Amino acid sequence: MSKKWIVVAGLLIVAMLMGACAKAAPTPTPKPAPTQAPTTAPAKEESAFPKEMHVWVTWGDNPAQLQELFNKFGNAHNTKVIVNAPVDEDKVIAALSGSQPPDVLVLSGPDNVPTWVNEGLLLPLDDLIAKNNVDLNDIYEAMLAQGKYRGKIYALPWGSDTYALYWNKDLFEEAGLDPEHPPETLEELVSYAEKLTKVDDNGDIVQMGFVPDYAWSHIEQYAPMFGGYWISRDGTKVLLDSQPVIDALKWEQQFYTKYGPDKVLKFVSSLGDYASPQNGFMDGKIAMVVDGEWFMGPNFIRGLKPDLWYGVAPFPYPKDHPERKHTNTVGGTVVVIPAGVANPEASGKLLAWMMSPEVVAEEMCANYNLPSSKKAAQDPCFKQDEYFALFMELANDPNATTQVFTPASTEINTELSNIEEKVLHAGEDPVPLLKEAQQKLQPILDKANAGQ
Amino acid sequence: MSHFRYRVFPWARWSPRTRRRFVTGILFISPWALGFLLFTLYPMVSSLYTSFTIYHIKAPSEWVGLANYRQILHDKRFWIALYNTTYMVVIGVPSTLIGAFLCAILLNLKLKGQSVYRVIYFIPSIVPVVAASILWVWIYNTNNGILNTALRYIGIQGPSWLTDPHWAKPALIIMGWWGMGNTIVIYLSGLQDIPVTLLEAAELDGASWFQRLWHVVVPMVSPITLFNLILGVIDMFQYFTQAYIFATSQASYAVSSGRPLGAPLDSTLFYSIYLYYKAFINLKFGYASALAWILFVIILICTLVLMRVTEKWTFYGEEF
Repeated sequence: MSKKWIVVAGLLIVAMLMGACAKAAPTPTPKPAPTQAPTTAPAKEESAFPKEMHVWVTWGDNPAQLQELFNKFGNAHNTKVIVNAPVDEDKVIAALSGSQPPDVLVLSGPDNVPTWVNEGLLLPLDDLIAKNNVDLNDIYEAMLAQGKYRGKIYALPWGSDTYALYWNKDLFEEAGLDPEHPPETLEELVSYAEKLTKVDDNGDIVQMGFVPDYAWSHIEQYAPMFGGYWISRDGTKVLLDSQPVIDALKWEQQFYTKYGPDKVLKFVSSLGDYASPQNGFMDGKIAMVVDGEWFMGPNFIRGLKPDLWYGVAPFPYPKDHPERKHTNTVGGTVVVIPAGVANPEASGKLLAWMMSPEVVAEEMCANYNLPSSKKAAQDPCFKQDEYFALFMELANDPNATTQVFTPASTEINTELSNIEEKVLHAGEDPVPLLKEAQQKLQPILDKANAGQ
Repeated sequence: MSHFRYRVFPWARWSPRTRRRFVTGILFISPWALGFLLFTLYPMVSSLYTSFTIYHIKAPSEWVGLANYRQILHDKRFWIALYNTTYMVVIGVPSTLIGAFLCAILLNLKLKGQSVYRVIYFIPSIVPVVAASILWVWIYNTNNGILNTALRYIGIQGPSWLTDPHWAKPALIIMGWWGMGNTIVIYLSGLQDIPVTLLEAAELDGASWFQRLWHVVVPMVSPITLFNLILGVIDMFQYFTQAYIFATSQASYAVSSGRPLGAPLDSTLFYSIYLYYKAFINLKFGYASALAWILFVIILICTLVLMRVTEKWTFYGEEF
């Protein structure tokens, strides 16, 4: 009797071991196109494609639409493209570090690229770009610049964003301002904001003229408007305590301290979800906000509050620096190829297809992001909204800039984020905080740049 | 005198039947044992090693000895995280225990609908943590959330639960109380184990309701209290999910990708969150491993101290 039990137990253990130790067979060599329907697939796409390709997207706006889009590639090249969206950060890290990364990875921003390149997790794309004839001239300068690091291209843009000033024309009229005349200078914006802010008898705010960090921080838009950035262009120096950063923070701070940070916070926290009709701007509670080009589109204003009477204008410049007119920071979705991919050639072809004008046009139309391809920008879809053209112009303006990312960017940006929070929400003086952060972070950046 | 050989290798002296039984036993534990070795012991030892290195994903790790540990002691955020986590342990765990105990007493009363009440109190604890956290973000909305609306009806101006650094941790603790269902159930079964004769005897001796509670009930459930206290402490030191959801729900206060860490103003920066951030955002796995081992030692010390200290207050079994 006990002998039988031993056998059963033994079998169970063996079964469990096999289950635990079995790895999904890696795709080491590209298999020839499957024998299903050799006549349909264009014969020249021969053996380059594995049976399955994986595309991971870290944002999850519309997974069904993405899958449909990638199925086009899959059908044309007799392979199956599986889209995984959204994917969590830690899954991405695990995949990049492991032996089975996705064939193509779509990120919401290039922020982590330098850190990952330092750890050898990404493939440089220059060769694949050349081999697959990706036309770099068709890509807008500012957008292309995002993916360059240490002289090589590690990421290509796939729908960039930039920001401008949205203003509520109804609220302007109510406050006695000309609804067709948005503020042109930062000083004007401050004075308009004052007229547009309403406080009730209890001292609570019921309407704000301008909230500098509504939805999220926009310091990457403000710092360049004040003449600088918190990292040097070459990525070697931390410039947190430089004058432009101090000025930007102090400028932002006044919107909070004028009414008391507690009151402003209370007001903002009572607003609804960003992606709902109760969004502070859509609901008519905030008169002016800084937001991106997607905000006008089908997923936001056009879809949720189409009757809103609003306008979009370039973010104001400082009165004393008209040369900074139209400064805007471009950034957004990028595509990378992990270093350990099974079939770099196939990944390269998929990447090239993603960069082709037709695909860019289709995807950007669906998502309402700025097309990175100049040819794609001609698509009539982008002429629908009068203000979309404005965003395209801004992205193409000589004053368009990009952020600087370094292997220590997560530390630096988090520190700045914390400082901004303290400055705006707790009314603290930015200067000592910035100086302290500067001391702490320069050595960290130096070490990171040296490969640690 | 048993032969030396049998002392060292006792199995040499077993009968075939005993030996067979032993092998059967080993086979049955082996799935667990394998799991323990592969998924608990090995990672623990590996992370201990990693904590003395700067870990590179594709390149060999560099040995740096105690450098990570030294850096941690000088890290301002480490101390903030430790403070926040300790706050949750010191305030969150006892309050939950006391609350659960009181609820269990109530639920033990012979009232009509007792089983309905028990179900109502238990259900929140089976709501998935992530869903519950998202739900509570709505409840805590400053102007439109249910909580502040209800407070307004009785004339209280509710605070900005999620954006006021003084109220963020209390908000999380209150949310924790909502899920005390399983602790209540454990206490309930403990209460029902108290011999009725004890309570009757106390009543006959003239003990008031409170005296009966304090001198009979509490000591009789003290093993349960100890058990829940220690588990609660171990758990709370590793607090992560709820705080992570709360922080990421705050319209991500962030500079491009700079994460909303411990929003608002570092008040919800808990140890596990800081560890997660260091590992998966900054890719500093060595540093994070060192953080993990420091936490392990802290929890170990706390547990040992707790068990020692509560020894004389815990009352097991029959000796009275």
